[in-house]
Amino acid sequence: MNAFDVAVVGAGVVGCSVARELAKFKLNVVVLEKEADVAEGASGANSGVIHSGFKEPRLSLKALYCVEGNKKFSQIARELEVPYKVVGTYTVGISEADRKKLGELKEAGEAAGAKDLEIIEEKELKKREPHVQGRLALYAPEGGITDPHKYVIALAENAAMNGVKFCFNTEVTGIEKKDGGYQIKTSCGVFQSKFVVNCAGLHADEIANMVGFRKYKVNPCRGEYFVLDKKASQLINGMIYPMPPEKTGGIGVHLTPSIDSNILIGPSAEYIDCKQDLGTTARGMHELFEEAVKLVPELRQKYIIHEYSGLRSKLIKPGSRNIEDFVIEENPAGFIHLFGIESPGLTAAPVLASKVRELIGRHAKLQKNPHFNPKRKKMIRFSELSKEEKARLIKQNPDYGVIVCRCEEVSKKEIIDALNNPLGVRTLKGIRIRTRAGMGRCQGSFCMPKIMKLVGKLDFTLKGGESRICHCSLR
Amino acid sequence: MTREIVCIICPNGCRIRISGRLKIMGHKCHKGFEYAVKESTNPERVITSSVKVINGELPLASVKTNSPIPKVEIKKIMEIIKKARIKAPLNTGDVIVKNICGSGVDLVATRKVRRK
Amino acid sequence: MNKDLVIIGGGPAGLAAAVKARMKGVKDILVIERGGRLGGILNQCIHDGFGLELFKKAYTGPEFAQKYIDKIEGMKIKCMLNSTVLDLRPDKTLTVVSPKGLLEIKAKAIILTTGCREKTREMIKIPGSRPAGVYTAGCAQNLINLLGYMPGRKVVILGSGDVGLIMARRLTLEGAKVLAVVEIMSYSNGLKRNIVQCLQDYEIPLYLSHTVVEIKGNKRVESVVIAKVDDRLQPVKGTEKEFQCDTLLLSDGLIPENELAEKAGVEIDSITSGPAVNEFNETSVQGIYSAGNSLQVHDLVDWACLEAENAGLHAADFLLSGIQGKRNFKTNADSGVRQVVPQYYSGVNDLTLSLRVAVPAKNKNIVVKDGSRMVKKIFCRELNPAEMIRITLTKEEVKNSKGLKVSLSD
Repeated sequence: MNAFDVAVVGAGVVGCSVARELAKFKLNVVVLEKEADVAEGASGANSGVIHSGFKEPRLSLKALYCVEGNKKFSQIARELEVPYKVVGTYTVGISEADRKKLGELKEAGEAAGAKDLEIIEEKELKKREPHVQGRLALYAPEGGITDPHKYVIALAENAAMNGVKFCFNTEVTGIEKKDGGYQIKTSCGVFQSKFVVNCAGLHADEIANMVGFRKYKVNPCRGEYFVLDKKASQLINGMIYPMPPEKTGGIGVHLTPSIDSNILIGPSAEYIDCKQDLGTTARGMHELFEEAVKLVPELRQKYIIHEYSGLRSKLIKPGSRNIEDFVIEENPAGFIHLFGIESPGLTAAPVLASKVRELIGRHAKLQKNPHFNPKRKKMIRFSELSKEEKARLIKQNPDYGVIVCRCEEVSKKEIIDALNNPLGVRTLKGIRIRTRAGMGRCQGSFCMPKIMKLVGKLDFTLKGGESRICHCSLR
Repeated sequence: MTREIVCIICPNGCRIRISGRLKIMGHKCHKGFEYAVKESTNPERVITSSVKVINGELPLASVKTNSPIPKVEIKKIMEIIKKARIKAPLNTGDVIVKNICGSGVDLVATRKVRRK
Repeated sequence: MNKDLVIIGGGPAGLAAAVKARMKGVKDILVIERGGRLGGILNQCIHDGFGLELFKKAYTGPEFAQKYIDKIEGMKIKCMLNSTVLDLRPDKTLTVVSPKGLLEIKAKAIILTTGCREKTREMIKIPGSRPAGVYTAGCAQNLINLLGYMPGRKVVILGSGDVGLIMARRLTLEGAKVLAVVEIMSYSNGLKRNIVQCLQDYEIPLYLSHTVVEIKGNKRVESVVIAKVDDRLQPVKGTEKEFQCDTLLLSDGLIPENELAEKAGVEIDSITSGPAVNEFNETSVQGIYSAGNSLQVHDLVDWACLEAENAGLHAADFLLSGIQGKRNFKTNADSGVRQVVPQYYSGVNDLTLSLRVAVPAKNKNIVVKDGSRMVKKIFCRELNPAEMIRITLTKEEVKNSKGLKVSLSD
């Protein structure tokens, strides 16, 4: 019987955080995800930053939830064995004229609770960030970085091991109020649930429309990114931001050191019409580079090894100067929506999840799940081990000694383990985000055939659906 | 009526002009001359492909026609190659299909494949 | 473990170097290969044309490789398969992993024959979505020739390099439709014989001075948009043409793979992307040699093997008699010439220069000069950047030179 207490629509960082939060209670939870894996929306296409929160509009939910989420992240990262590193943020001014604005930002940040902010001069900036060009900068020590894919995977795996059911390739097509709850029609059958949590991100308005809640419209705003070769990693130490752009708003094109020692450049910001359009564009890529090279003049096109784009869920219309905030609303009773979860959504996710749990708790007393285990073990990453540990592992299992992805030093055993992951995801992208295979400078051109051979299935896909890697057998 | 072709026998790729009834110019060696003659009368090519291996350490064996075959027969020859099966073990040079399509040319293995 | 000579990479260059070093008298040789068999990239190159220079025959890749593998086996040269070198240090120690375990090796001499990689869609920065169906030509070649999987049914190929041309023919013979080969330059990058037997034979259109400007498709490629480019190689608006297809292959250039060379602190030539070597194929680190596609991208495997034999020969001299090359003088690629290898020479030996021109040219002289003194002049009717040109200078010709500039002149 497909009957549950709570159905969560969307397995992004919010959906999986909600799932993990609800797993702490005696509830029957299912997560319905239309794609083949977790984090296929904005959760998998961002900078991976755990923001300090002080740049958000004062007293907004974004600011409050971000600050709280930032405080919680170290513990969550420890419990789930997710990589996390505090690297600090520099907002760089290029002339004396920027000093006033940086001072205002510093005051606003301190008022919002940020600690140890300091304005540093050119000499000090050069000492800390030798490759960054600037006259002065506002330094904030609290910003950190993580791997957003690994974070969401960890949340989902922990939720799953604590009893949450995950249904992938399951697209919600219709919802009806029925039998004291909701009947959810999907591409994989019908589900009945007392409560529904709408974490569908870009498609949250479409889900809301299914139950007649038409207050909000989600406007896709594309952000393009570059990923730089690890060889360029020495170009920055902390996160490097430009002065906040006056014309376009937002935080501008910035450089982020990724947790794997790549540098991410982006995101751009461009409203588009189609929610399906994840393309990178020639103009977008050109602008990204032009902006980034102003901050780090030694950047070269030849360092670029990957591009991607993500779509933000914006509630305000293009051109509007209104401040927008997270929206959590319950309408109708028992149907909880989350709208407009863009940056700092990754940081705020655990707090958003708690708020959802509180809303559900108003309807029914939630009993704690005594068996809830907050700990989840991460996958072994061969390349990070010492020589002795590598030698020991290979002795235990020779498949650790066969390197499949040379660029990222990923072993055959890791690929096999990724293929047999606890969520049952079997796609090439699923292997890539779990092991890093294919994320190096050759972008899978050497290791993909080897992985296909290991998988041994002709109909293996890149990311589910029609995305088969190969067409047919030769003979 | 002159036509210019590029010789494919070696990487030099000499441009050879063929005019009238087999007046051939531009070749740097006799192989090029012979190629030009053939190309104007009955063009031929060596075909390289793969044949399915039964019980081998590899699923396919690379194969070739051990001499050029008429271009007009390529389609027919590919049909035979697609249907052919060979049991491991096999060695470089082993004949997979003798006198393929009546061309007088054999289809041979170009690599070793040991038994699984 | 101590070894006299370690050769990293068991493709044709590595094998040729090993055989030569053994013939010269080096007994303790180890070839380390990351794949499951020797032969390197030749295992997937089932087409013919290999060995025309060295053996006067048109072997297929596996046949050519087998000639060296037979010699390796006959000479009982030790090889480690499924073994990956994780680290190489300037003191010639290396860390290798294999199913047997992790091994530290101290080598007296090392020959790097690590081959090359392909330019990816991301390096080219082709705009558009990221569906399944976009592959480098070599990756597709592996899928079809080693795994027996057809990568797609309707194909567009970007780049007229040889790998792409060969794949155009292969895919067509196997029943796929190759709609176009698209080349950004105004001339093709591959051997003329491949244009004939891969494109013309199958009536596959070649679009010169065009490039791919967009990839469309959500899960799998649905179409690809090409456009003409101007003389700055920028797409011209209004010239777009869309092809409905499910596969885009990229044959846009090969890049020598030198991760290990860089770890060893070897001087790299930014134009070739390979180590800067002297006429002994020795790098800037004593006892480390480089040859084959990881030194410079070759058009013919025959030359890669000859180059590797030179490396093997001199590595042997170094091991047996302590003879080292010198980096006394520099060679330079001047107007019209893109690259020259070796980048350094001693001035006391015969010197074979390998070079590539920067743009196609007709009826020009390749000129080698020492200052204002003309050292050698060779007339060439046709020159193409895709073709490697070899010029041998005798020790008399290079004697007393202070550096050599290679250029094109009328």
